[in-house]
Amino acid sequence: MPPAEPVAAVPTDAALIAAWHGGDEPAAAELVRRHARALARFLAGAGALEADVDDLVQETFIRAFRGLARFRGQCRFRTWLMTIGGNVLKDAHRRSRRARVVPLGDDLQATDGDPHERAVAGEAERRLAAGLERLPRMQREVFLLRAQQGLEYEEIAAALGTTPGAARVHYHHAVKRLKEHMK
Amino acid sequence: MNDDATLHDAKLQEVARRLGAHAAERLDVERTAQAVVARLRTEPRAQVRVLGWIRPEWLRIAAAVVLLVGAGVVALNVRMPPHTTPVPGATVGGELGELSRDELRELLEAVGQSGEGSEQQAASAQDVGLEDLSAPQLRALLESLEG
Repeated sequence: MPPAEPVAAVPTDAALIAAWHGGDEPAAAELVRRHARALARFLAGAGALEADVDDLVQETFIRAFRGLARFRGQCRFRTWLMTIGGNVLKDAHRRSRRARVVPLGDDLQATDGDPHERAVAGEAERRLAAGLERLPRMQREVFLLRAQQGLEYEEIAAALGTTPGAARVHYHHAVKRLKEHMK
Repeated sequence: MNDDATLHDAKLQEVARRLGAHAAERLDVERTAQAVVARLRTEPRAQVRVLGWIRPEWLRIAAAVVLLVGAGVVALNVRMPPHTTPVPGATVGGELGELSRDELRELLEAVGQSGEGSEQQAASAQDVGLEDLSAPQLRALLESLEG
C-alpha cells in the first residue's frame, strides 16, 4: 500500500497576513480570493449597487491591507474586512450623493425554480433590501453579520466595537423592524 | 427557548442569506485579486509621496498664519489706547471742596485737554469765565464732567 500523500496545509489568514507583511504579494492575492465573495455579498446586502460591488470590494481590501496594523485579531479577518466594507460603502454613498435605488435587476431574484417562485423570492429580497436601507447602520450591519454571514454575537461585537448583549439588542430591533416592513 | 427562537424568523434569515448572492457570483475574484495587488504595489508609494509633500507644507502655512495673527493682535493692543481714558480729577471727586480756585482752574484745563467729549464743556466754561464761578458751581461742573 503506497504511503498517503501529505495533504498540503492550507495557510491560515494569520499566516497569510504575516506573509503579506513580509512583502509576499501572492499572500495578499490569496486573502482576496478567500474573502472577496463573502465581502461582495455583505456589501450588496448592505445596499451597494451590483455595478459598484467590484470597486467597493477592491477599495475595501486596499484599505484593509493598508490598515492591517490596526487589526489585532480581535475578530476574524473576514469579519474585520466587513466592518471596513461598511465604512467604504458609507463613504461611497456620501460621495455619490445619489438616492439609493434598490436594483430591480436579476441580482435580487432567485434564478432557479418556477417563475412564480422566482417572482415571490425576488419580491421578498426586494422588500428585505428596502427594509435594510431604513435601518440604522449598526442594526443593518449586525443583522447582516448575523443573518447573512451566520456569525456569533461575540464575533460581531468584537468587530463592531460593542458588547455581545448590545449586538443582540441591535439584531432583535432589526428583525422586528424588518418583519414589520415585510408584512 | 432562546431569543432567536422567539424573535427569529427562519424565512427572514433565508432571504437574508440569498441577499447579495448574485452580486457575489458575478464577481470576478481572480481579476479582483490581481487588481488589488497591482494597486497595493503602486498606490502606497504615491500616497506616501503626496502626504510627505503636502502635510509639512500645510503645517508650515498654518504655523505662519498663526504667528501673523498673533503678532497682529499684539501690535494692535500695544498701539491702540484703551477706550476709557482716566479723567483727571475722577478720583478726587470727594476732595474737590478742599481745592483752591487756582487748583480747580488748572484741573478744568487738564480736563479740557483730556478728550474730545469734554471740549464742549470746556468751551462753555471759557464762555462763562472760570473766575466767575463759585466753588460749588465748579464742583458741579466737575462732577458733570465725571459723568
